[in-house]
Amino acid sequence: MNVATLVEKRRTQWTELERLCDGFVKPEDAARFGALYRAACADLALANSYQLPPGTVTYLHRLVGRAHSRLYRSERFDPQSWFNVIFIDAPRQIFSDPCVRIAAVLFFGLFSLSAFLAYNEERFPTYAEDMVGAAQLEQMETNFQQGLDGNFSHYIVMAGFYIKHNTGIGLRCFAFGILLIPCLFILCDNAVKLGASFGYMAREGVQGGDTFCIFVTAHGPFELTAIALSAGAGLRLGMGLFRTEGMTRLDSLRINALRAVPIMVAAAIMFFLAAFTEGFISPSPLVYPLKAAWAIGSSGVLMFYFVVLGFPRGEPT
Amino acid sequence: MADATPLDTTTEVVTPENIAFEYQLAGPFRRLPAYALDVALYTGVLVLLVFFGLLVFSATLSGTLVSMWVFVALIIWFVFGWFYGALCETYFNGRTIGKWACGLRVISVDGRPLSGMQATIRNLLRVSDIAPYAALPQAESEIAPVLMIPTAIIGLLAVIFTRRMQRLGDLAAGTMVVVDEKSWRLPVARVDDARVPALAAYIPGDYRVTQSMARTLAAYAERRAYLTPPRRREVARHLTTPLIDRFEFRPDIDPDLLMYALYYQTFLAADNQEPGEIGALAGFSPLRKDMARASLVAAPPAEMQPRGTARAAAVVPSMEPTDRAVASADQPPAPETPDQGETL
Repeated sequence: MNVATLVEKRRTQWTELERLCDGFVKPEDAARFGALYRAACADLALANSYQLPPGTVTYLHRLVGRAHSRLYRSERFDPQSWFNVIFIDAPRQIFSDPCVRIAAVLFFGLFSLSAFLAYNEERFPTYAEDMVGAAQLEQMETNFQQGLDGNFSHYIVMAGFYIKHNTGIGLRCFAFGILLIPCLFILCDNAVKLGASFGYMAREGVQGGDTFCIFVTAHGPFELTAIALSAGAGLRLGMGLFRTEGMTRLDSLRINALRAVPIMVAAAIMFFLAAFTEGFISPSPLVYPLKAAWAIGSSGVLMFYFVVLGFPRGEPT
Repeated sequence: MADATPLDTTTEVVTPENIAFEYQLAGPFRRLPAYALDVALYTGVLVLLVFFGLLVFSATLSGTLVSMWVFVALIIWFVFGWFYGALCETYFNGRTIGKWACGLRVISVDGRPLSGMQATIRNLLRVSDIAPYAALPQAESEIAPVLMIPTAIIGLLAVIFTRRMQRLGDLAAGTMVVVDEKSWRLPVARVDDARVPALAAYIPGDYRVTQSMARTLAAYAERRAYLTPPRRREVARHLTTPLIDRFEFRPDIDPDLLMYALYYQTFLAADNQEPGEIGALAGFSPLRKDMARASLVAAPPAEMQPRGTARAAAVVPSMEPTDRAVASADQPPAPETPDQGETL
């Protein structure tokens, strides 16, 4: 038998397989698909002994490739696996990851330092203006002068904005982690600017200062922790390129990315919680003890999450 | 085949059926349009959302409804901006809409389909791949993303320097982008020139075509349609000169015709096929030992040849290779043409 007749003979099956690769496959076609796929694989394997022309071999490679990706589908997001990621993997990784600790120390250290410098008006009179900008400080003052009030339509728009804006910053911080320096820059930039704003607003005699403190109390724990966590996840990603621990650089990067994602997921959830708090609770005219209770409660939840859920133990059951 | 063509942009994948097949990798210039299409698509959806919100507002003038709408739009903006690619690639098996339009697909480096986790990683890390940004000074990146022009130099460098053309996100997720499009080319070129089977019949039976020779012949048969007859002879001569010696053919055989005959013999000849009708050339022998005899036989009249080609063209008039065969026959490729010696 010559090659041309062979190809012509097989071609009907190949076209049929090609047709089954498109669109929905009926159940009765599924078995047929498997048989055709195996036949095409066999044709490809024997292509050299059949001496098929290169054009046909290229076609077969593509056909088998398409059928292969048709047969083996991508793994969807499984709710059970996400439960495991959020409540088992993430806290343990956060608890044991030095990158998270470095990011947290860096963030909260710079934040406190910056707040102190901005608060200390006598020694560093222009620090806050240099860091945040005079116009923005003024804007903040006028914003908080009117006191806290609002209605539902204002709250919900702000909640949406905070979700988009703040979570976006966290995700950028994480994604830049692979380049390390931009991630560190975003982290430090946020720490310094937030610290300077806090310190400035805490000064005696700044208008709206009290309102500001009441405003930030409720969502502070979630939001600040979330920034530190996303930077920690980013650092974990970037360190994979440098600390390979005996693996090839690419394997190390891949494994560290898999370890970093749970941290980022936890951070994203905290950003969401912070955004809803910031949208609904912080600007509401609730009495301060309630907001403080919310802050204490959320800190407690975080502690429970990090320490109790995260404490190293044996394999998850 | 992959080891023989190390410069090709293909990558080999071994399936669970233990078959190794090749994927063609997609370079930056295939991926950029797909990405641009995706961006245009979700920007369009967002614009529609805003437009719809304005409609709702003008129809109801209800502040609460509009703010709910703004909330939903902001969430959709956030989800599209960060997770459009991850969601599409997970649920459409490695393709976004742009990739589908451009015939691309993302798969794991080991050839398996990618998981949701991998899709998330590779799409989140796009931020660093399209860095550095050519930022206009003082432009607020969140409010006016248009003013932050991504140069994508980092991703481009990563694509250039990695074997599987992966950007940083692909490296971290362990994925690659491959070309996934259908292509059916006529696998075996038809031979419509009646002289070819006749010449093929003279090829010695003990001559076995090696695999690389078969590949070369098939490539030649595919390419020859794009070459002019003198160029064909020039290309073919390198292979046929030793073969003519080996087959003991007369030296003025057209190299193109001989290559074509070998191709026919390798891919097309059936065991029990009758040689075609070759008209005036019947009785012609390409063998060197018959040269003296052939000169004794009356050389075919000059007008015979156009008639022969006209008939060959009439067999399958619409086939493209026929035209080529005619074109080659119009030139002086036939062995008996006197000026053949110049081309050899």
